[in-house]
Amino acid sequence: MNITETHGYKVVTDWLSSKGYSPFAFQAETWEHIFQHHSGLVNAPTGCGKTFSVFLGAVIQFINQHPETFRSSKKNGLQLLWVTPLRALAKDIGRAMEEAIHEIGISWQVGIRNGDTDTSERQKQKRNMPEVLIITPESLHLLLAQKGYPETFKSLSIIAIDEWHELMGGKRGILVELAVSRLVALSKKQGTHLSIWGISATIGNLEQAMEVLLYASKKKGHIIKANIHKPIEVLSVLPDEIEKYPWAGHLGIKLAEKIVPIIEQSNTTLIFINTRGMSETWYQTLLTVAPQLAGAIALHHGSIEQELRLWVEDALHTQKLKAVVCTASLDLGVDFRPVDTVIQVGSPKGVARFLQRAGRSGHRPGEVSKIYFLPTHSLELLEAAALKKAIGETSIETRDPLLLCFDVLLQYLCTLAISEGFKANQMFEEIRTTHCFSDMNEQEWQEVLLHITQGGIALQQYDEYRKVEIENGIYKIKSRRIAMRHRMHIGTIVSDAMLKVKLMNGKFIGVIEEWFISKLEPGTVFTLAGRNLELIGIKEMTVTVKPSSSKKSIVPSWMGGRMPLTANLGLMLRKTLDLALTKKAKDPELQALTPLFELQETLSHIPKENELLIEHIETKDGFHLFVYPFEGRLVHEAMAALLAWRISRKMPITFSFVMNDYGFELLSDQPIPVDDSNVYELFSIENLMNDITQSVNSVEMAKRKFRDIAVIGGLIFQGYPGEQKKARHLQSSASLLFKVFSDYEPDNLLLRQAYQEVFDQQMEEVRLRNALSRILKSKIVIQFPQQLTPFCFPIKVDSMRENMSSEQLEDRVKKMQQQLQ
Amino acid sequence: MTVPILHKILDQHFWLSPERVLFWEQKKTLIVSDLHFGKTGHFRKSGIAVPQSVYKEDLQRLFAQISFFKAEQLLIVGDLFHSIANKEMDFFLKWRKDISQLPFLLIKGNHDILPNNWYQEASIEVKNEYHVHQFSFIHDPKESVTTTEDGSFIFSGHLHPGIIVRGLGKQSLRFPCFYFTEKQAILPAFSHFSGLASIEPKKKDQVYAIVNQSILQIQ
Repeated sequence: MNITETHGYKVVTDWLSSKGYSPFAFQAETWEHIFQHHSGLVNAPTGCGKTFSVFLGAVIQFINQHPETFRSSKKNGLQLLWVTPLRALAKDIGRAMEEAIHEIGISWQVGIRNGDTDTSERQKQKRNMPEVLIITPESLHLLLAQKGYPETFKSLSIIAIDEWHELMGGKRGILVELAVSRLVALSKKQGTHLSIWGISATIGNLEQAMEVLLYASKKKGHIIKANIHKPIEVLSVLPDEIEKYPWAGHLGIKLAEKIVPIIEQSNTTLIFINTRGMSETWYQTLLTVAPQLAGAIALHHGSIEQELRLWVEDALHTQKLKAVVCTASLDLGVDFRPVDTVIQVGSPKGVARFLQRAGRSGHRPGEVSKIYFLPTHSLELLEAAALKKAIGETSIETRDPLLLCFDVLLQYLCTLAISEGFKANQMFEEIRTTHCFSDMNEQEWQEVLLHITQGGIALQQYDEYRKVEIENGIYKIKSRRIAMRHRMHIGTIVSDAMLKVKLMNGKFIGVIEEWFISKLEPGTVFTLAGRNLELIGIKEMTVTVKPSSSKKSIVPSWMGGRMPLTANLGLMLRKTLDLALTKKAKDPELQALTPLFELQETLSHIPKENELLIEHIETKDGFHLFVYPFEGRLVHEAMAALLAWRISRKMPITFSFVMNDYGFELLSDQPIPVDDSNVYELFSIENLMNDITQSVNSVEMAKRKFRDIAVIGGLIFQGYPGEQKKARHLQSSASLLFKVFSDYEPDNLLLRQAYQEVFDQQMEEVRLRNALSRILKSKIVIQFPQQLTPFCFPIKVDSMRENMSSEQLEDRVKKMQQQLQ
Repeated sequence: MTVPILHKILDQHFWLSPERVLFWEQKKTLIVSDLHFGKTGHFRKSGIAVPQSVYKEDLQRLFAQISFFKAEQLLIVGDLFHSIANKEMDFFLKWRKDISQLPFLLIKGNHDILPNNWYQEASIEVKNEYHVHQFSFIHDPKESVTTTEDGSFIFSGHLHPGIIVRGLGKQSLRFPCFYFTEKQAILPAFSHFSGLASIEPKKKDQVYAIVNQSILQIQ
C-alpha cells in the first residue's frame, strides 16, 4: 500500500493544508520511510521543519495502527523517544509537538526528561509513560538504571536522535550508541519493529554518521536530504588601518564601535565570541561605546544562571532584544526568528561551525543568511577570505566517531547492573554490535568485567572491594549506597570544580571555576553575567558577592577547550595565501591585508600552497625558528616537540616552544641547526610513532586526559549533594590516581585509554602524519629575516603572554611594534 | 636507596631519607607523618578500584627504614590511619606483631578517628602532642601557635608539602619535600597514595625535595 492512501497521511496533510502548508519533499520522504519501518538520517538545517519530518512520521504510523480509536485512545505507552543534546531545546520542541498533537486531534502526551525534571514528574512518568518523551542521552541512561525498564520501552517504535552531528564526535555519542544497542536488543526479543532516525546538520561524513547510529540494528539506512539552499553572505569588519604587526586579543575590542551601526540597522543580532571571558568583556565594551543599547542587549554563556539564560532565549523569541553577546551556548537549538544578523568575533576555527552560526540568521525561504566576521588580529582577515572560499566549494569538516572508550563502557555496565543486571556472554555480543566497541576483543572484555567485579590488583584476604557482584551468572550492584552514587555520576560531561556565585540575599548569579576565584582576595571586583561584583567570601562551594559600582574589574577566565583550527580550514588558508599579492586577490580582506603581505614578502616570503615557510630570526631573546604549517594548535604542538627532539639528537640543544593555529616557534640560546641539507629529514615520517613517544611529554598529556576518564569511569568521587564533608575520606585528585596507577597498575585499562586518547585526539596522530607527508612533498623555503615578520609576530607575543599581566603585555608589545616599524 | 642526608637542628642530628622519613640519631627515633594506612581499603570498599599494592609497599618501605636505621622508637606525627576500620587494618596488625618490640608513639592527626581501645590493642601509644628535649611534636603546624611561644622547635606533618621546581620552556614539576623554617620542620607525607600541597618557602627556609630515589636541597 502507498502511504498517501493511508488514513494517517490524510489526517496529517489535511491538518497541514488547513494551516495553509504542504509538506516539504524531505518530510514526505521521511514519512514514507517510517511507513516502511526503515531507519535513516535526515540531513536538514535548523529552522526548516526537521522536527516534523520524524515526528509527523510517528503520528501517521500511530493513526494507521489505530484508525478507529486514534482520537480517543489514551495511555498508549511510549511511541517516540526523542534524544536531544541540549536541555534548553526540549521545552521548545515539546511545545511545537504539543501544538500539533492538539490540532491534529490525537490524545498523546509529550513528556520531558532531563536533569531539570523534578521527582514527582518522574514518578508520574514511571507510572504512565507519555507517548513522546524528549530526553538527553544522560537521562536516557538513567532510565536504563531503573528496575523494570524493559517495560518502559515495550511499545516504542521510533527513536530519533536530534543534532546527531553534535553528539557523534564525543563521548555523549557513545552513550547514544550504547542505549540504541540496548533498545534494539529489547525490540528484537519482543519481535517488534524499531526505527532509528538521526537528524543532522551537514557534515563531511554524513554516510558514516548514519552507519554509526544504525550499527546495532544492522540495517541499511536511508539518507534524506532537505535540499533547502540558503545563500550565505560573509562580510568582514575591516579595521581602518591594518596593523602590520598583528597580535591576538586586542584588535577586536577596538572595532567594537564599528558594529554598533550593524546592530542598529538590524532587527536582532547575535554576536558570537569564542570564550566566556571575552564575551563578558565584549558585553561591557558595547555598553560603554553604545550606552543607548542598555536594556536592549544581553549576555548568554554557559556559566550564567539558567533562569537568566532562559529569559534571554525567551526575549529573543519575542523580539525584545536588539543584540545578544553569546558563546557556543547558542550554537545549537531552535531558531530565533527575529534574528537577521550574526557577527562572528575571532576565528570560528572550522567551516562547519561558521556555517552553523551563519545559519542562525535569515530563516525565511529565499532570505540571505548574513554573517559579519570581525577579526581579533589583522591576520585573521585571511580566515574570512578562506571561509568564503570554503563555502563556495562546500568543503565541510567531518566528525569522527570515537572508538573503544572503556570509561563509558564501565559506566554503562554499572548502570545496567543497578537495574536488571546482565549476563556476561550475552552482553559481550550486544556491546559489540555498537560501532564504538565492534573491535573489542575477548581479553579486553574480561578486563572490563574484572575491573567492575574485583577492582584490579588486590591483597586477597584483606580486600573488601565492592561494586558489581555476580549472582547466578547475573552481574548486579546490590549496595544501595553504591547504586545511588553511580546514578549521580551518570554522564560524560566533566567540568572543572565550579563554585556557585550568589548575592548576600541568596540570589544565584552563575558559576565560576575554583582555580580562578581562589586567586582573588576579598574586596576584589570581578565581572560575571555582565555585572560587576565584589568578592565578600567563599564558604564551602559558594562564593558570596555584592554588587559593585567600581569601574575596574577582573574578567574571569574559564578553562575549557580552545578549539584548534580544523584541517579543512587550514587547507583553505594555505590556498588563500596563494592568492596574496596577485591580481586574483579580489576579496576585500586580501586587499586590506596588502600592506602586511608586502612587508612579509620584503622581509621574508609568503608561502604558496605547495610550500612550507621556515624563518630563522635572531633577537636578544635568543635564536628563533618559526615554522608555518597552518595545521592548528594541537598538530603544531606535537610537530614542535618532534622537531625539537630530532634536532637535539644531532647536537645537545634545549628549546622552549610556543604555537598558535598558523605555526609554531622553537627558541634556543644557541643557533638552531636547520638548513636545506637536513630539513626534510626533520619532517620525515619514518619512526614517527617512536620519535613522538620519546619527544612529547605524553605522560603530562595523558595525565590531563585521565581526569575525564577517571570521572566517567567512576574512579573519582565527587560527593553527595549537600554532604560534601562526609565524603572527604573518599576524595582524591585525578593526578594522584594517575600516579598511583602508573606506579602500581601500569597496564590498567583506563590508564591505557588515556594514552590512546592522547595519540588519537590530542596529537591527532593521523592528522600529524598527513601533515608531515604533505610537507615532505612540498617545497620547504628557509628564510633568514633581519627582524621579526608579520607572520611570526602573533606567535612571539603569545610566548610573552604567559608571565605577564595584560597591561604589561600591552605596553611591551607597543614598544616592540614601534621598534619594528 | 641513596644515602640519607644530614640536617642539624639545635646540635641534634636528623637524617633525611628519600623514603620520606626522618631519623633522629641521638634518640634513635624514626619520625614519619601522614601514612594514611587503610586508605586504599576505604576506597575499594566504596567501589573505587584503587590498586592495593600501594598500601602493601608502604608497609614494606616503613619496615625497611626501621631496619636500616635500627630505630628504637617510631614517632608518627599524625594520620597513621586514613579513616574508620576496614579489613586492611588486619594486615597492619599482622605487620605490627612482627615488630611488636618497637614502641609506636602516635601524635593524633585529624584522620586518626579509630576508637582508643583499637590503638591499645595495636600497642600504639597515643598523644595529642609530645615535648622532648627542646622539641615539640604536633600534627597540624597551624595549631602550633601556642607552643612556639615557649621557644621550642616544632615537628609536624598534615600539609603534605610539595615544592615546585621550574625549568626552561615553562616547564614545572612538583616534588614532595622536607620543609624547614627557623622554628619548625614539616615532614612529607609517607604514603605514596597522597597528594601534595605546594609551599611557598621564604628566603631563610630550607627545602629538600625528594626526586625519585634521592634528596636534593632546593634552597
